[in-house]
Amino acid sequence: VPPYTIVYFPTRGRCEALRMLLADQDQSWKEEVVTKESWLQGPLKASCLYGQLPKFQDGDLTLYQSNAILRHLGRSFGLYGTDEREAALVDMVNDGLEDLRRRSARAGDKAQYVQELPAHLKPFETLLSQNQGGQAFIVGDQISFADYNLLDLLLNHQVLVPGCLDPFPLLSAYVARLSARPKLKAFLASPEHVNRPIFGSRKI
Amino acid sequence: MPPYTIVYFPVQGRCEAMRMLLADQDQSWKEEVVAMQSWLQGPLKASCLYGQLPKFQDGDLTLYQSNAILRHLGRTLGLYGKDQREAALVDMVNDGVEDLRCKYVSLIYTNYEAGKEDYVKALPQHLKPFETLLSQNKGGQAFIVGDQISFADYNLLDLLRIHQVLAPSCLDSFPLLSAYVARLNSRPKLKAFLTSPDHVNRPINGNGKQ
Repeated sequence: VPPYTIVYFPTRGRCEALRMLLADQDQSWKEEVVTKESWLQGPLKASCLYGQLPKFQDGDLTLYQSNAILRHLGRSFGLYGTDEREAALVDMVNDGLEDLRRRSARAGDKAQYVQELPAHLKPFETLLSQNQGGQAFIVGDQISFADYNLLDLLLNHQVLVPGCLDPFPLLSAYVARLSARPKLKAFLASPEHVNRPIFGSRKI
Repeated sequence: MPPYTIVYFPVQGRCEAMRMLLADQDQSWKEEVVAMQSWLQGPLKASCLYGQLPKFQDGDLTLYQSNAILRHLGRTLGLYGKDQREAALVDMVNDGVEDLRCKYVSLIYTNYEAGKEDYVKALPQHLKPFETLLSQNKGGQAFIVGDQISFADYNLLDLLRIHQVLAPSCLDSFPLLSAYVARLNSRPKLKAFLTSPDHVNRPINGNGKQ
């Protein structure tokens, strides 16, 4: 029986990065899918610490907040940099990704969002250029939870804003390389992933 | 010579929590104050990873993102829970604090006059999770997670203090949070910092609203 359970809506949203991490790390997990109707009508929402999903279970540990879950898995699987310095850089990257996630959720005007997108992707191209010419990972030379989060964001943006990575050769190569990791590739090709919408009810 | 430098605007903003942490942990640090004019005109902004402050230096390590800085200090000063389980809970708390801080910042900078009344009315539901967490941990007599202070406590304390300025009675219906704030405020080194001119004379936000 897998110790991990993801309780979430039937979307990728704030859970696909952690699904990719678990799949790539050869972990199995249980999905408890929450429909919008049962969420609005049932007792689950009131029982959630911040009244939001995802809710995550690791054995008897219950967690909320998608980035806390990513950090917990990072800590558990050694996906948090090789030392304290790298851990701080991994955090700095993940927080930048979270800013981008919030920005895309808030985006009212898609045209404006698309126009501003290159400026928000550039820091990640810069980080790759400063780390083994982009041939390794976003921080250091081992994969971290921030890589899965970054990959998810980039894959989503390639769908929502086709061609957005064209000005960023290192990010383009990074996406191709990570997507080809065998277990991750299998997950990304799986019906579960392919048939799960990126958003529930989002605009962009 | 202190290894720590905070590069930021002359405000509390997203740096007061880390200042409180450093002061309470008996650390010294250097402040490099950035005036808004020089920020808008100078080369510093373009040199910052995300084009934003704070920028933080720990020796030769340069960091951006206020929560990454808090986590770095938490990790290096033993303020991140006593084990992996507590570390996860500390993260969960800090992320909740960050969510409310984002709402606060949005109110202050984009919608203060029109939005304040609704914000204050909705505030109890956003503070309640933290009261709940305290009630589940030694009746609120310890810290937000476990029985040692973490970076999340400093961040939460700062969040509660700035909300007491915005809405002075906002903690009246939260006895554990009220007691928690009073208790942490009176920790000797923290109290000395909070009564210092540096803190007292530093505006909370950059636009004069609070």
